[in-house]
Amino acid sequence: MRGAPGASASRKAVSAEWVRVGRHAASEIFLPDPRVALAQGMIVWRDGLVYLEGEAGTASRTVTQRTVRSVRLNAGEGIDIGPYRLEAIAAPAGYDGAVSVELAHALESAPDLKARASRLTLASLGLAKRPIAWVVFLMVLALCLVIPAGRVLHMPWTPAADRAGVTDRAWNPGPLMLAHQTIATRCSACHQVAFAHVRDEACLECHAKTTRHDGAVLAHAGLLAGERCTTCHLEHKGTKATHRDDDGFCVACHRDLRAKVPDAHAMNASDFARDHPAFRLTLREGDAVRRVRMGEGAISQQTHLEFPHAKHLDPKGVKSPDKGRVKLDCSSCHVPDASRRSFEPVTFAQRCQECHTLQFEPAVTAREVPHGKPADAAMVIDEFYANLALKGTPDSFQKAFGVPGEGLLRRVGDPSEAQRRNALALASAKAKRVAVDLFEVRACKQCHEVARRDVKGAPPRWEIAPVTMNRRWMPHARFDHQAHAQQKCGDCHDVARSKASSDVAMPGIAKCRECHGGSRPVEGKITSNCMLCHGFHDSTERWDPGFVPRGPARVAEDRDAR
Amino acid sequence: MRHSSILEYAHFRWFKGAAALCAGAAVAYLWHNPPIKPYGGTWLGYTLGTIAALLIVWLMAYGVRKRRYRSRMGTVQGWLSAHVYLGTALVVIATLHTGFELGWNVHTLAYVLMLLVVASGFYGVYLYLRVPGAMTDNLGDDTLQSIVLRVADIDREMRAKAMSLPDALLALVDFSIAGTRLGGNFMRVVSGRDPACATAAAVNRWSSTARGALAGSGNLEREVFGLLLEKQQLLERARRGLRHKALLDLWLYAHVPLAFMLLAALAAHIASVFLYW
Repeated sequence: MRGAPGASASRKAVSAEWVRVGRHAASEIFLPDPRVALAQGMIVWRDGLVYLEGEAGTASRTVTQRTVRSVRLNAGEGIDIGPYRLEAIAAPAGYDGAVSVELAHALESAPDLKARASRLTLASLGLAKRPIAWVVFLMVLALCLVIPAGRVLHMPWTPAADRAGVTDRAWNPGPLMLAHQTIATRCSACHQVAFAHVRDEACLECHAKTTRHDGAVLAHAGLLAGERCTTCHLEHKGTKATHRDDDGFCVACHRDLRAKVPDAHAMNASDFARDHPAFRLTLREGDAVRRVRMGEGAISQQTHLEFPHAKHLDPKGVKSPDKGRVKLDCSSCHVPDASRRSFEPVTFAQRCQECHTLQFEPAVTAREVPHGKPADAAMVIDEFYANLALKGTPDSFQKAFGVPGEGLLRRVGDPSEAQRRNALALASAKAKRVAVDLFEVRACKQCHEVARRDVKGAPPRWEIAPVTMNRRWMPHARFDHQAHAQQKCGDCHDVARSKASSDVAMPGIAKCRECHGGSRPVEGKITSNCMLCHGFHDSTERWDPGFVPRGPARVAEDRDAR
Repeated sequence: MRHSSILEYAHFRWFKGAAALCAGAAVAYLWHNPPIKPYGGTWLGYTLGTIAALLIVWLMAYGVRKRRYRSRMGTVQGWLSAHVYLGTALVVIATLHTGFELGWNVHTLAYVLMLLVVASGFYGVYLYLRVPGAMTDNLGDDTLQSIVLRVADIDREMRAKAMSLPDALLALVDFSIAGTRLGGNFMRVVSGRDPACATAAAVNRWSSTARGALAGSGNLEREVFGLLLEKQQLLERARRGLRHKALLDLWLYAHVPLAFMLLAALAAHIASVFLYW
C-alpha cells in the first residue's frame, strides 16, 4: 500500500471473510481521508477479487445512495475510490489476491481559520477616516466660505452661486431692525469695504440730516472724534432698535464735563435719582430767551396776559353769556395735539371767545370785532357806525346813536353840507366812544395791556403788548403727555390757585422723582436712564457737513471701481 | 495597583485647569456690562473667541502629537487628559463667546459642529472607560491571534478524530472547519455576532445528526462534540474581541470628520466676521 507521495510503501497481510475498505479505523484497508466514507465498501472473494460498494457510493458528504456496485478486480485493472486508486496485482504465494492502494490526489488542506479571518478591523474593511475628513472639510469650506465669498470679493462664480442659493446670506448673524429690512438683501448697502467697519458714509447716504451731539460751540473740542455711527448703533441685533440703551456712554462724559472740556457750562449728571441737576426752564420774553434754574424760589414769566387760572377753575363754575354757570376743567382749554405728546396752542378764537365775546353794539348787531390787530378792530367799529350813519334804518339809528334819525342816504333829497358833517361827526364820535369802551374798559383791557396813543387830528391808536406763550419749557428733554395720561393735570401743574398768568406751574425734578428712579432698578420706582428723556443727536449742526450723497436718497450700490 | 485613567492623570491636574478656565470665563462674562447686549463682537467676545479658536486648533493638534513618537513634549497620556478636559471647557468658552446669540447661519453651524465634536468625544471617553475592562474580561491572558491559533489546533484535532465518525458527523465537522469565518464585513465586526456561523450551525445540528447516525461512536462522538463546543466558545470570544476593538475605533469616524468640518466652519465664521466687519 502506498500512501502520500514520498511515504514509503507498506505491506499488510489480511485474512478475513471480507475486507473492509473505508475511513473507519477498523477497516482492513484503511483510507484515512475525509473524502472517503466511513464504510466505503468491501472486497470479497467470488472467484476472484470483487469490490462491492454499499450505502455510501460516493464521497462522504453527500446523500446516501442505495446503489450497490460490484466490480471484479482483474489483474491490471484499477478502480478509483475517492482520491485512492485500487489496483489488483498478482497475488504472492499463499494469498488469494492482492491489491495495491495508492493515494492519487493528496488532500488539499482546507484553508484554516486564519485565511478566513482577514478583515478584522474597520480600516481593513475599507473605511478610512482621513479621506472622509478631507472630503467633509473641503465641502464645508467651499459651501460656507469660498462660494459665498464670491460676491463681496467679486469672484466669477457669483451668478451661479446666487442661482443655487449658496450666498453670503448664511453669514447673516441676526435680523435687521424693521426699518432696514427693505435693504436686508443688499449687504453692500452698509458693508461697503471688505475687512473694514461699516463707514459713516454708508449711514449718511440715507440719514444725511443726522445732527451732531456737541453743537457748534463745542465742536472745537473734538469730543467725539474717532467715534463712528456703529459705536452706538449696532445692527443685526433684533428688529426693535439698533442703539445702545444704557447710560454708560452718556455718563462717561457727563459725569464730569469739565474734565473733557474746561469751558463747558452745563452741570454734571450721572444718575437721575442721585446726581442730576434741578431742571432749567427756558423762558421766552419776546425775542429774549433766558434759562432759569428751578428750586431757587418762585419763577415767574411776564406774559402780558391777564389770566387767572383760579377764577376759571372755580369749582362753582364761571358765568357764561348764554349757558348760565359753566364748570371748566383743564381739558376745556388745553386740547392734545395730533401726536398727543403735547397740546395745541390755546387760541382766543377756539377757547376764549365763546364767553369773552367781542361784541361792541349788542343792541343792534351780534358782530364782534376781529381778535387781531387793534387797528383792524377800530376800523370795524368805525366802518359800522359810518355805515349806520349812511344807511341805518331809523330803528338801528336810534339804538346805536341814541338820537332819533336815520341814515343819510335814506333821507329824501340830497344831503346838505351840514347834514353831511353832522353825520360824520356823529359816526366818528360814537365809534371813538365805543372803541375806547371796548379797548379800555370792557373787552381788551380785561386780558391785555392796552396803551392808547392819541394822535392829533386822527382817531386814537391803541397798542396791545404782544402776549408771550411759552410752549417749550425744556427743549432739551422729551416729555410725552400721552405716557402720563393716567395722571391728573393738577398732579404736576399746580394752577388751581394761580391768580396771574405770570405764575410758572412747571413741575420740578422732585415731582418727577416721585415716580422715576435712577438707572439702577429700585423697587417701586420706574427705572429711568438718560435715554428716557434725552436724545443724542440734538444739536442743529449736521454730523458731517462735508458729506454729499452720491445720489438722491438711495441705498448704496455695490462698490464700483475704487 | 488600581488603574489610573486619563481622567485622573497627574491628580486631576487638567480637570483643575479646565475648571479654572471655565470659572474665569464665567466670572468675566457676568462682570462684563456690554453696551447693548453680549455677543461675539464685544471686547470680551473677541477675547473668548480667540481663546476658543486657539483651543480648537490645539485640540486638533492632538492627532499630530499622538503620531510623533519621538516627541518629548509632555506625554501622550497627559496630552489626552488635557484634550478631554480642555475640550469640555471649550463648550463653556464658546457658549459665552456667542452671548447666546444663535440663528440659522454659518456662525451657529460652527457652534453646533463644536457641540457634536465634544459630544462624540464624551462618547469616546465613555468607551475608553468601559471597553478596555470588557476586553480584559473577554480575552483574559489571550490575544486575538492566540485564539485563532487555538481554533486552528482544534480544527486539526477535530478533523483527525472525526475521521472515525459517521459520515454525517464528519460532514458537520468539515462544514465547521471550512465555513467558519471571522469578521469580513462591517456588521459582523461591529456587532460581534455572526448569525450564519458554520460552527454554531454544526453545534445546533449535532445532536439530531448524532442520533440518526451509526450507534457505537460513543465516547469519540462526545469528544468531538466537546471540541466543537470549545471552538464555538473561542469564536464567540474572538468576535467579541473584534467588536471591542471596532468600537474603540468606530467613534473616531464621527469625531475626526466632524472636527474637520468644524475647522472649515470656523474658518468661514472668522473670515466672514472680518470680511463684513
